[in-house]
Amino acid sequence: MLFNSLHFLVFFPVVVGLYFGLPARWRAPLLLVSSYYFYLSWKPAYGLLLAGTTLLDYYSGVRMSRLATPAQRRPWLYLSLTSNLGTLFIFKYFNFFSDTAAALAATLHLPLAAPTLALALPVGVSFYTFQSVAYIVDVYQGKLPAEQHLGRFALFVAFWPQLVAGPIERGAQMLPQLRRPHDFNYGRVASGLRLMAWGMFKKVVIADRLALLANPVFDHPQRFAGLPLLLGVAAFTVQIYADFSGYTDLARGTARVLGYHLVLNFRQPYLATSVGDFWRRWHMSLSGWFRDYVYIPLGGSRAGRARTQLNVLIVFFLSGLWHGASWTFVLWGALHGFYLVAESLTAPARTTLGRWLGLPTRPHLQRALGTALTLALVAYAWIFFRANTLPDAFYIATHLFSGWGHPTAQLPAALAGLGRHFAAELLVAAGAGAILALVDYRAERGSVAAWLAGWPAAGRWLSYAGLLLALLYLGIFGSSQFIYFQF
Amino acid sequence: MLKLVFRLGLLLGIVGLVGGLGLAAGLRRGYVDAFYARFTSPPAGSLIVGTSRAAQAIKPSELAARLGQRYEGPWLNYAFTLAESPYGPGYLSSIQRKLAPGTRRGLFILAVDPWSLSLPNQALRGAAPTTSASPDQAVEFPEANSMVGQLASVSQNPNLDYLAHYLHKPFYQLLLNADTARVIERLHPDGWLEIALPPPSANPALLRRRTAEKLATYRALAASSHLSASRLVYLQKTISYLQRHGQVVLVRLPTGAAMAAVEAHYQPGFDQQMTELAHRYSVPYLNYLPLSYPTNDGNHLTRTAAAQLSQRLAADIR
Repeated sequence: MLFNSLHFLVFFPVVVGLYFGLPARWRAPLLLVSSYYFYLSWKPAYGLLLAGTTLLDYYSGVRMSRLATPAQRRPWLYLSLTSNLGTLFIFKYFNFFSDTAAALAATLHLPLAAPTLALALPVGVSFYTFQSVAYIVDVYQGKLPAEQHLGRFALFVAFWPQLVAGPIERGAQMLPQLRRPHDFNYGRVASGLRLMAWGMFKKVVIADRLALLANPVFDHPQRFAGLPLLLGVAAFTVQIYADFSGYTDLARGTARVLGYHLVLNFRQPYLATSVGDFWRRWHMSLSGWFRDYVYIPLGGSRAGRARTQLNVLIVFFLSGLWHGASWTFVLWGALHGFYLVAESLTAPARTTLGRWLGLPTRPHLQRALGTALTLALVAYAWIFFRANTLPDAFYIATHLFSGWGHPTAQLPAALAGLGRHFAAELLVAAGAGAILALVDYRAERGSVAAWLAGWPAAGRWLSYAGLLLALLYLGIFGSSQFIYFQF
Repeated sequence: MLKLVFRLGLLLGIVGLVGGLGLAAGLRRGYVDAFYARFTSPPAGSLIVGTSRAAQAIKPSELAARLGQRYEGPWLNYAFTLAESPYGPGYLSSIQRKLAPGTRRGLFILAVDPWSLSLPNQALRGAAPTTSASPDQAVEFPEANSMVGQLASVSQNPNLDYLAHYLHKPFYQLLLNADTARVIERLHPDGWLEIALPPPSANPALLRRRTAEKLATYRALAASSHLSASRLVYLQKTISYLQRHGQVVLVRLPTGAAMAAVEAHYQPGFDQQMTELAHRYSVPYLNYLPLSYPTNDGNHLTRTAAAQLSQRLAADIR
C-alpha cells in the first residue's frame, strides 16, 4: 500500500478512528494487525518472511537477556545476524554477486554457470533488517534490555508508518514509546496531519513532476548532451530529496497522529556547507546506523589517519551497496567516500585559501560558496545513483559540459515527458521547488511549525486549503512508488 | 476530538467543493486522455480488441454504419497498447467487464499479430511454456498490474477509479485543454484513437525517422521475446468467451512493409498458426498484412487509411 494511493486514503482514517475509539489496551494490538495488513497488501508471502525474522530476533533477544557474559550471548547474536543478513543477501544481493562472478569468469574465459534466483525483493527489507540488527547488537552489548513482550517487539519491527522506508528506528527510542499509552491530543494530531500534507505535496507535486523531466534523460542519455543532461541531473537532484523527505514526512506525520515520535531523517541537506555536513543532514537514521554499527566497530577515527580514511571508504562502499545491488550504487557510495576523504585531506589547504581570499570576514559568502560547491558535488554523484547502467552513468558524467554549441536542439526531446503543457509544468515545478527551498531556508533558522503558529488564523487556514488544493490540482497521481521503496 | 473532526470536515468540505467543481468543469470539456473515454462509455455489444494498431486502424463508426443492422451495439474500439492489452488474463477480464450483459448478436473483431501473443523471455519462471501443460501458471504476465488488468470499473462516468490511479497528468491540465483541435491524440467516443498528424507525404524525413525508431524498438523486442503458448491459450479463451455472445473475426492488420518484414523474420509461421486456429474455432481469419496502406510511423495506419481499412473490413465481413 502506497501512502499516495486511494487504498491508504481509506486505511489511514479507519485505523486512526479505531485507534482512538478503542480502549487503550487494544491500541497496540490494532497497530500490529494494521501493520501486517499494510505490509501484506504488497505481497502476502513476504509477511511470512517478516514474521519469521521477527520471531527469531525476539527469541534471540530474550535468550541473550538471560545470559551473563558476551561469550554466552554470542551464538544468539550470530544466529540473529545470520538470519537478518542472510535474508538480505538472498533476496537482494545473491543475483548481483552471481552475475558479477559470471561476468568475471567470462572475461577470464573460465567455465562458470552462475545460478540466479527468481525472487522479487520484499519491500522494505533493507530497512526492517537494519532496524532488527541494531536492536540485536544493542541487546548483545547490554545497551538495551531485551523486549520480553512478543507483540510489542513485533510492532517495533513492523510499525507501519516506518516499516517500508524508515526512518530506521532504534530500540532505545521506539520501545519505550510502545509501552506508553497514547491518548488523543488535538495539537499533536493536527501537527501530524500538517506534516503529512506537506510530505504529500513534496511527493506528488514536486518529486513526481520532476521525475517526468529526469526520466527521459536517464532512460536514453545517449540522445542528449550538455544542457538537457544538466537539466535531467538537476531535476533528479531535487526529485530524490522531495521524494524521500516527502515519504519521511508522511511516515513521521502518520506516527505523530498516533502519538509516536519518529526520528528526524532530513535536516535541510541541500543547505549543507560540506559533504560531511551533507551526511549529517541526509538520511540521518541510516548515517547514524553506519556510524554506530560499522564505522565505530571498525575503529572509527581512533586508529590513525590512514585507517580513519579507510574506514570512511568502507562505510560508504557498504552504504552504496545497501541502496541497491548494482555497481552504479556502489560507485555512488564510493564517490561520496572519496569526497569525504578528499575533504579531510584538503581541509588545511582550503582553510589557508579561504583566509587568503578573506572569506572568514564574509561568513555569508563563505557559507554560500560552501553550499553551492557541496550541492554540485552531491548532484554529480546522483548521476551514478540514478543511471540505469554504468555506461549510461559514465556517458552522462562525461557529457554534461559538452555539446553546448546548440543547447536548445535536444530540449524538446528532454521536455517530452512533461507533455503538451510543458511550459506550465516547468512553471509549476519551479514554483513548488521555490516553496520547498523557502521552507528549508526557514527551517534552517528555526521551527517552521512555530513560525506558522505566529500567522493569523485566516492565513493559516488559507495556507492549509491552498496546500490541499495544490495536491488535488497539481499533484501527479498514478500509483507512482517512492524511490526508496526499492531498497 | 470533535473539534478536530469539525475543523477537518470544514477544511476538506471547502477543498472538496472547490476541487470537485473544477474537476467537473475539466471533465465537461470532453477530452481527458487517450484511454479515459473507453472506460466511461456504456457496456458495449460489439467490440474491437487488440493493441495500438487496432486502436488506430479500426473505426467502429464505419463498421456500425455498414453492419449496424446485423450486430448489436453500442460499438466500441476496446483496443489499447501492446503494454496494456496483449492477450492474457487481465485483458480477457476487462473485455468480460466491458461486454454488455445479455449480448447475443455482437461482432467481435480480434486483431492479432506476433507481438500481442508474445512474452519477454525473462517472464519465464520455469520450463518453456510451449511445452507446459498449464502454460498460464508457468509465466508472469508483465501487464498484470497495468491499467487494463487492474481497473475494475470500466463503464462508469465519471470514472474516479481511473482518474485517481491511471491519469498520468495533473487535473489542472483538464482545464487547459480548451482547444481540442490542437490535440494530436484524439480519442473518439466510440473508442477509435485518431492520431491527428499531417499525412506522411507532408514530411517524408519525419516519417523515415519515426519508422527507423519504431523498427529499432520492434527488432529489440523480437530479440528479447518469444511467441507464448500462454498468450495463445488466452486468445483461445477470448475467442471461446466472445463466441457465446456473437460472431468473432480474427484480423491481421496491415502495417508498414519494413515492419511486416520484421514480423515475418520473427515469426515466419504466424499466419499458418492463425489460419489453423481460426479453422479450429470456425471463425473467419482476414489477413490484410499484404495490403499496402500509409502509416504514421511504419507501424500504425494514418487516420485516412483507418477509414479506408474499416470500410473494407465491413465489406469483407458483410
